[in-house]
Amino acid sequence: MPKITLDNDTFEFEGRPKLLQFCLESGVDLPHFCYHPSMSAPANCRQCLVEVGMPQINRETGQPNLDESGQPIIQYMPKLQTSCSMDVADGMVVKSHRSSELVKRAQKDNLEFLLINHPLDCPICDQAGHCPLQNQTYKHGPEGSRFEFRKVGKPKHIDLGPNVVLDGERCINCTRCIRFTREISKSNQLTIIERGVKNYPMTPPGVEFDEPYSMNVIDICPVGALTSKDARFRARIWEMSKTASISTVNAKGSNCYYWVKDNKIVQITPRTNMDVNEYWLADEDRLDYHKFNDNRPTGPSISGAQVSWEAAYKAASDCLSGVDGSRILFLGSATATVEDNYLLTKLAAKVGASTPMYLAHRKEGHGDNWLRTDDRTPNAQGCERLGMKVADVAALKARISNGEVDVLHVLEDDVVASGVCTAAELAGVKVVLHYYNTTNETLSAADVAIPAAMAVETVGTVVNEQGHAQRLRPAKAIADVNRTLSMEIGKCRADRHGTPFDKWYEEANLINCQPGWVSLPGIASGLGLELNYKGPRQIIEELSSSNDAFAGLSYEGMGELGVRLSEQGVTA
Amino acid sequence: MEAKKTKAGDWRSYQRVLLPPVKDLHKLDVYEKHDGYKALREVVTTDKWDPTSVTNEVKKSGLKGRGGAGFPTGLKWSFMPPVNPEIPRFLCCNGDESEPGTFKDRQLMEYNPHLVLEGMLIASYAMSIKTAFLYIRGEFADWITLMEEELEKAYAKGYVGKNIMGSDFSCDIVIHKGAGAYICGEESSLMNSLEGKRAYPRVKPPFPAQKGVWGYPTTINNVETLACAPLIINRGGEWFSKIGAPSHPGPVLYGISGHVNRPGVYEYPTGMLITDLIDEVAGGMRGGKKMKALIPGGSSTPILRADMIDGVTMDADSLREAGSMMGTSGMLIMDEDVDIISWLRRITHFYHHESCGQCTPCREGTGWLENIVTRIDEGKGNVRDLDLLLDLCTQMEGRTVCALADAAAWPVRYTITRFREEFETRCLKEMAPSGGVLETA
Repeated sequence: MPKITLDNDTFEFEGRPKLLQFCLESGVDLPHFCYHPSMSAPANCRQCLVEVGMPQINRETGQPNLDESGQPIIQYMPKLQTSCSMDVADGMVVKSHRSSELVKRAQKDNLEFLLINHPLDCPICDQAGHCPLQNQTYKHGPEGSRFEFRKVGKPKHIDLGPNVVLDGERCINCTRCIRFTREISKSNQLTIIERGVKNYPMTPPGVEFDEPYSMNVIDICPVGALTSKDARFRARIWEMSKTASISTVNAKGSNCYYWVKDNKIVQITPRTNMDVNEYWLADEDRLDYHKFNDNRPTGPSISGAQVSWEAAYKAASDCLSGVDGSRILFLGSATATVEDNYLLTKLAAKVGASTPMYLAHRKEGHGDNWLRTDDRTPNAQGCERLGMKVADVAALKARISNGEVDVLHVLEDDVVASGVCTAAELAGVKVVLHYYNTTNETLSAADVAIPAAMAVETVGTVVNEQGHAQRLRPAKAIADVNRTLSMEIGKCRADRHGTPFDKWYEEANLINCQPGWVSLPGIASGLGLELNYKGPRQIIEELSSSNDAFAGLSYEGMGELGVRLSEQGVTA
Repeated sequence: MEAKKTKAGDWRSYQRVLLPPVKDLHKLDVYEKHDGYKALREVVTTDKWDPTSVTNEVKKSGLKGRGGAGFPTGLKWSFMPPVNPEIPRFLCCNGDESEPGTFKDRQLMEYNPHLVLEGMLIASYAMSIKTAFLYIRGEFADWITLMEEELEKAYAKGYVGKNIMGSDFSCDIVIHKGAGAYICGEESSLMNSLEGKRAYPRVKPPFPAQKGVWGYPTTINNVETLACAPLIINRGGEWFSKIGAPSHPGPVLYGISGHVNRPGVYEYPTGMLITDLIDEVAGGMRGGKKMKALIPGGSSTPILRADMIDGVTMDADSLREAGSMMGTSGMLIMDEDVDIISWLRRITHFYHHESCGQCTPCREGTGWLENIVTRIDEGKGNVRDLDLLLDLCTQMEGRTVCALADAAAWPVRYTITRFREEFETRCLKEMAPSGGVLETA
């Protein structure tokens, strides 16, 4: 196998990886700005310079020349090379900053250059704290500046489009954003204008940076030049906790981080998963988070009056008991997890009702074969795999208006807003409703209203359009959960490093709701059905052995990146 | 010290070939009367030549590129991959002449445009290229018009286009106007500019011969380099290789500017003594002044002090020994009255203005250099600034995609190292009000 030597350590490699990528994967933390693994390497930031040598080859024998100790003589290239643009080759010897003073000096010099015209406004910059320029300056940069002149002035706070704001002065001209619009999203909405030290990225005249993936440039910007119009100035990075989870805006199941401050979702950023969304996240996935914070319920209610959870469960099971199963209509939800829908099917079976159906939420023509889909729910695949079918809205409407339904049990959906019936038409029907927001239009017709935990508050599984099963993790606490004890909720820096005396965390904004895997067993026990699971993990264990479509599925198997399900469970 | 010896032989009786003394040579009929398109006719219509033999003849001639880097032309041509009829290949003639002190290609395009066109066609034949671009800098508006007119006439006569002179060789020439950026003269940014992209230099490898314009095999040559091709075909590579300095042969256009009596473009063999060029060709120093400094090949080649040019000839080897480079042989001569600091200020301003801004060291470094040199020029400098300048040069040299950072750093480095006293005096004047002399305690 071909070999390469990095700072006296020898590594084997396959194929022709780029040297920088290979170094990063081999634990050599080479500083870099312009390189991104998904895009072309223009080698323009000049930060990843290394010394590169190859064995000196004897022209006659074709073999490497050896020195006195029998080692091949290494011939170094006369100039430092950018590792991002260089292919790894057999026998290559590379010296990084760990072993070469020259490289160390070059990295320091380059950072000095980058900083001379970079505004030192870190204290008010959103990127501070997770800024590659800041981090690398701390690690490799000069201690002071020898620059004694006025910095170059460039336009600031320019709205490039509806979601992205540019600060030209902070830009270090890495052209990652330009290459994103050119090579990844192919919108070509950004380019570099001006020349030399006045360069900055801009849209062409008359063009707005309004592509549906525009906010990705914020994540790949190695400085604070491109910031989110929505999230900027809202929270410092160290004040937020981040939790690795799944976006639920569409059926793609893009991997994301939910950033939380004071029990409110503040920002959503992409999480790399090469099988699903690669490095990217659509703007719609990022911006649709207000539903998690606003118009949330304050606890369970019976006919609009607040009651205890026990009373609500009792009322709900009373609604379901003693009614002919054929006159009870169960509606599952493509927004709820596989686990919750599964419990609902068990509940339906217990009272003799037919398998729950679910309402489709589709926006035809919205999908783009990338990260946006026509389906506006995250888990329609999961419902299908549980044997649930899409409800025919017209047929449901007819059943309700013909008085064929006595009890309607809706899991985390809104039948009125979906056009199944009006609230008035439900007057004669007993409605048990699990709901997320007080804007739910069915709420006024609900006899028992049970607040449900949303995707950012629960544990569960969703299956995306391609059959990729992935785990939701709770990003924020609900009233019943102690966030410091819940191991899955992400930690912020104060969580990890704060003292008990730091008053850094707000216990406000805790929503009084319950995930389906808590509330459905609560209702079921009133009907004599004991759904005694320790948690959703155990539900999936049961499901994987009882349902072929989920065969082999487990929480451990899904991990952070999920698994692909075939017709018959987990693919090899 | 080695004796003053020219390598140009009997240069006083040299017969000009690139810019022969023929009236109205730019007109096609005059050009035709003086063996115009004869070389092309021979190459495309007779069996004597095939693409390989043309390339070999150029190799034999020892022609080195006249655009600044001095790369052997025949070798460059042979880098083109084997012909694949599915894949187009291109020739670019680099007429983006913008180096301060260089103005020879303009002269060629004005007085002998068809020689350039013929050279492009011969090069295209040698590399089986069907489309050749002539990239001319935008500021040369008049010369662009002239070249366009002459190209049209050549098309009308069947020298360019389909089945040239009845042969089965077809080649189009496209004239492309630059939009006024020094960086477009760098071959890879020239290609980007030609493609309609921002003129950022490309990372090499891949080299143009593998991946050039639009990703296809491309060769890029300077105007003067290509103009040598018809001469080599007409008179043979051997004839060419015997002109001037053996290691760097051929006729060359010396663009002499500055404080001499007769500045201008002069055609002579390579290997001319610099002193001959100044004293005899250019008529000596203006006003009988003493020479202070000389830049042999455009502003980015290292500056030489007057005492460094004794016995130095204009060819790569001799100039390297003397501590400079041949570059474009655009010689800038400065007399004793020149304020070298002020001159350097102007040069650093040029490179600051022309840096494309792609790579960090050049984008940030060129401006910083100008800032410091300006401060020194204004008398507000400090001696430690000189070391900072040299430090910045080290931080820029060889650390960018293209050579502009080197081109920007060298004038600073060599002007300071070769005229350090002058800089120190200017700085000390400010530091010590006593008038330039540091008082000792």
